[in-house]
Amino acid sequence: MAESATAKSPSLSEQYLLKGKEEKLESIKPVEETPIENPVSASEEEVAPKTEETPVSVESSEGAPAAAAEESSEASDATAVESSEAPTDADEGVSGAAPAANEGSSESTEEEKSGDEEAAEETPEIKLETAPADFRFPTTNQSRHCFTRYIEYHRCVAAKGEGAPECDKFAKYYRSLCPGEWIDRWNEQRENGTFPGPL
Amino acid sequence: MYTALNRKRNATSPNVGPSSLPYEQTEQSKNEPKQMIVLEWLFLTIAPCDAAEPWQLGSQDAATPMMQGIIDLHHDIFFFLILILVFVSRILVRALWHFHYKKNPIPQRIVHGTTIEILRTIFPSIIPMFIAIPSFALLYSMDEVVVDPAITIKAIGHQWYRTYEYSDYNSSDEQSLTFDSYTIPEDDLELGQSRLLEVDNRVVVPAQTHLRIIVTSADVLHSWAVPSLGVKCDAVPGRLNQTSILVQREGVYYGQCSEICGTNHAFMPIVVEAVSRKDYGSRVSNQLIPQTNQIAEA
Repeated sequence: MAESATAKSPSLSEQYLLKGKEEKLESIKPVEETPIENPVSASEEEVAPKTEETPVSVESSEGAPAAAAEESSEASDATAVESSEAPTDADEGVSGAAPAANEGSSESTEEEKSGDEEAAEETPEIKLETAPADFRFPTTNQSRHCFTRYIEYHRCVAAKGEGAPECDKFAKYYRSLCPGEWIDRWNEQRENGTFPGPL
Repeated sequence: MYTALNRKRNATSPNVGPSSLPYEQTEQSKNEPKQMIVLEWLFLTIAPCDAAEPWQLGSQDAATPMMQGIIDLHHDIFFFLILILVFVSRILVRALWHFHYKKNPIPQRIVHGTTIEILRTIFPSIIPMFIAIPSFALLYSMDEVVVDPAITIKAIGHQWYRTYEYSDYNSSDEQSLTFDSYTIPEDDLELGQSRLLEVDNRVVVPAQTHLRIIVTSADVLHSWAVPSLGVKCDAVPGRLNQTSILVQREGVYYGQCSEICGTNHAFMPIVVEAVSRKDYGSRVSNQLIPQTNQIAEA
């Protein structure tokens, strides 16, 4: 696994954190192995551009090959012929984002994929996605996570203008994280000009 | 004494248990309650329910990896506990037995012995290590958010009910999928429902999916605790506590408030219903559509 990862040299330095933790927990509890891969593949298929953590600076095209690298390296772990796969992955990575993503998803096991697609077909309007885990807020206390996402959204709106599509994901994040009561209160405070945060 | 009480209790009220599932009702319809009572009495936790039951001794069945880890840790530690108990009682009993003015008129006076001193220093320092290492491993793995969760559910404690918000599907600041969850009063219970454990609106979650539960409170301290899921998270006003769970099997899981929160502390239970992903999707969309219509009308 490490071999193929170095061969690819993942462009995102952030990819790291959660990856390391994932391996650690897998080694503790092999029971979780299948469910862990599920959301990864699901999030990759459905919301490939949205998986990266850092807000505006990271391009979406960078996120896709990184996720693909993660998955394909996982898959290559299972197969004994690691060396034969690593170069092909590297070639794919060089050639572009889209083929790499395809490669990654096609390598994930069949039943997972079919399960996800089935769910997606049955209920097109319900996507199982939410605010991702943020490495800035690794603790149990997520109050600041919610607050930060709220501020990020309103700063984004202030910078890009009302209704800018790139701000939508921040709106989704803070709505997922913050209790409705808090949002109502903050909206009121913003209208009155008494909002305590840096907007 | 215990057994007599236990048997009596089971015989007089076979229905008292957390027999909310249809399973128990079919048993009763078969008219074999006696056998079940004996079995239940023998194995104590035979009912396939994820709720507390009368005279329960062990943990409830694990439904998450975390709970499995907790149970395993408990058993690990119990091994050392019994080891120490046996050893110490042996020494104690032996000392009492031999310390006798007729059998041993002149007691031995050992002031020091190198071997025994080394042994009784080394072993007590190794044993805590064997306890601490798996304990910390479990503790820190509980805190870790391993993968991005697929769903965020907000559990907000009130005096004395709970509000749940599913806000992942919102397109505006209006709450589209929010409901209150009250306990079912004793008089309204139907046959087979558990007293003080049943609620009117259950939390529906998909199984085999990473969930993020954000626990907070609107007034005083509450707690969101479900033993089968291995979750006990305090609800603190003004603070969002996050806990991540992965329910491994479909089922109905019961829990209660675990932080003294006032008069009706005992009457704000938690019921989590884990369904398959497909069912979850249809459930949510079914609930979303009428609610959005309401908003549109208003």
